[in-house]
Amino acid sequence: MAKPVVSKRAPRLLHPFFISLGGTLLMAALFTDYMYSCNSLIQWSNFSAWLIAGGLVFALVAVIFLLIDFALGRAGPISWLDFILVGAAAIISLFNVLVHTRDAWTSVMPTGITLSVIVTILLLVAGIRGWAVTMERVVERGESR
Amino acid sequence: MIGSLLRASSAFLALAVLGACSDKGGDPMKQYGPNPYLPEPHQYLLPPMSVPRAVGWKAGEAPTVPAGLRIQTMATGLMHPRIVYPLTNGDILVVESNSPGTKPFRPKDYIQGKVKARAGAGAKGGNRITLLRDSDGDGVPELKTVLVDHLHSPYGVAWVAGTLYVANTDAIMAFPFTPGQTKITAPGVKLADLPAGPINHHWTKSLVASSDGSKLYVGVGSNSNITENGMDVEEGRAAIYEVDRVTGAKRVYATGVRNPTNLAIQPGTGQLFAIANERDEIGPDLVPDYLTSVRDGGFYGWPYSYWGQHIDVRVHPQKSDMVAKAIKPDYGLSSHVAALGLTFSQGETLSPQFANGVFIGEHGSWDRSPLNGYQVIFVPFVNGRPSGMPIPVVTGFLAADHKTVRGRPVGVALDRTGALIVADDVGNTVWRVSHTGAPTSPAITRK
Repeated sequence: MAKPVVSKRAPRLLHPFFISLGGTLLMAALFTDYMYSCNSLIQWSNFSAWLIAGGLVFALVAVIFLLIDFALGRAGPISWLDFILVGAAAIISLFNVLVHTRDAWTSVMPTGITLSVIVTILLLVAGIRGWAVTMERVVERGESR
Repeated sequence: MIGSLLRASSAFLALAVLGACSDKGGDPMKQYGPNPYLPEPHQYLLPPMSVPRAVGWKAGEAPTVPAGLRIQTMATGLMHPRIVYPLTNGDILVVESNSPGTKPFRPKDYIQGKVKARAGAGAKGGNRITLLRDSDGDGVPELKTVLVDHLHSPYGVAWVAGTLYVANTDAIMAFPFTPGQTKITAPGVKLADLPAGPINHHWTKSLVASSDGSKLYVGVGSNSNITENGMDVEEGRAAIYEVDRVTGAKRVYATGVRNPTNLAIQPGTGQLFAIANERDEIGPDLVPDYLTSVRDGGFYGWPYSYWGQHIDVRVHPQKSDMVAKAIKPDYGLSSHVAALGLTFSQGETLSPQFANGVFIGEHGSWDRSPLNGYQVIFVPFVNGRPSGMPIPVVTGFLAADHKTVRGRPVGVALDRTGALIVADDVGNTVWRVSHTGAPTSPAITRK
């Protein structure tokens, strides 16, 4: 009987998980913004402010783990399309969290929810592409490390 | 829908960024009087905050008063004194108080609380009333003692017919009390509940008795800047109540007054006047705080509109029928001065120019650059109405470079000799302003 083929994987990237966490919170803020725009119940806009603030905290954590990925030699070269998608979403969210510090209706309508729509579109693409902003280092089968 | 949203918001964002970069307040004098200048409202990315650091008074320092007047320290080392209330026998009550504390709702609330604390607004209040007794009327009290302790964020006080009424943040309490007494030991009896927790954003409850003493008027501030804590928590807020002094029955007297921080009855006419603090975060010159006579059943705009029919777009849903009803206040006090103290003058006790009008304590702005307020002003009255430009009376609370603040004036009152008493909740001091030319006031005889 032939020996089973052992495929070896490179160590996984650490940063995509944290981008996915933050991205999920930022996309959830579109839902809560939408709810506030429908019912004017202020608690929905409070949820948005917390979700976006939380998303930005995870963005910071993700940056730290991206640096760790580089330091550990796990990350390949930067994938610029993903980097721009995620980076733009983070920068727009920085504006968005400030818009959400406004009081009552104008914390969401119309600027806040518009920014949330843009961020959600950027992050959906980034998410479907796998949340990583660098290439993975590929280890060929059978290659000895 | 998305397309129109995008267009609207990109224009909006551009405005907001511009606004955040270059928004300095104009000349406050343009906003005093019956027709204040009102610029277009702006929305901000960074909530505008500008506060001087609280440093207190060094020994020998005092606020500045005009020539012909002198200022003395009446009491120091108080715990956040807010309201001063002279009694008929010459004793002065000092209400030492601060917010019962509010819980944060949003990320913003944490930051805003820290900024306000820097300006001395976070200090713990005494939750008590201190009595100052100056029998010989020289401005130096011989006695300073705690009259009543363990109150719940008290603010307004009124003495009527052997009873001291104290407006705690959640109820009017009644204490049997005869001027001359230096200690209240009897437990208070609750006269009426007042709107309070769980948010209690504007916690102060101002209080004044009608001329005949049959009614008490209570000012209750809104539960938010501009409904950002939800409309349901604004039930019964931003209103002035009339409470029957004997039965405690209360009815809404006027509504739409965002934060009626103090009330006063005009001598002679018995007309109720209020000062109110208006909304923040739509510009350094919006919206002017105001002084107004209060009409029974009147609606003064909050939250839907300001200064009459100027709609506030932050409120949703809007109510056009309410906007149409909104009364324009009598007299603008310029924006963000945080008017907190109000008292009518009683003739020429300080100076002929202060014979007819009101003294107003301006606590000072926290969200405007350049800073505004931080002084006690006099607004002259003509034919029973505020008229003409204000006259600064007590100034010098703010350092010349506007970086630090030594004190912030709050409550104002005239004592029995006609001297102006000013509570200072950052200097933790009570100041007394009197006329230099006048002979030393005669000793007050106590009954």
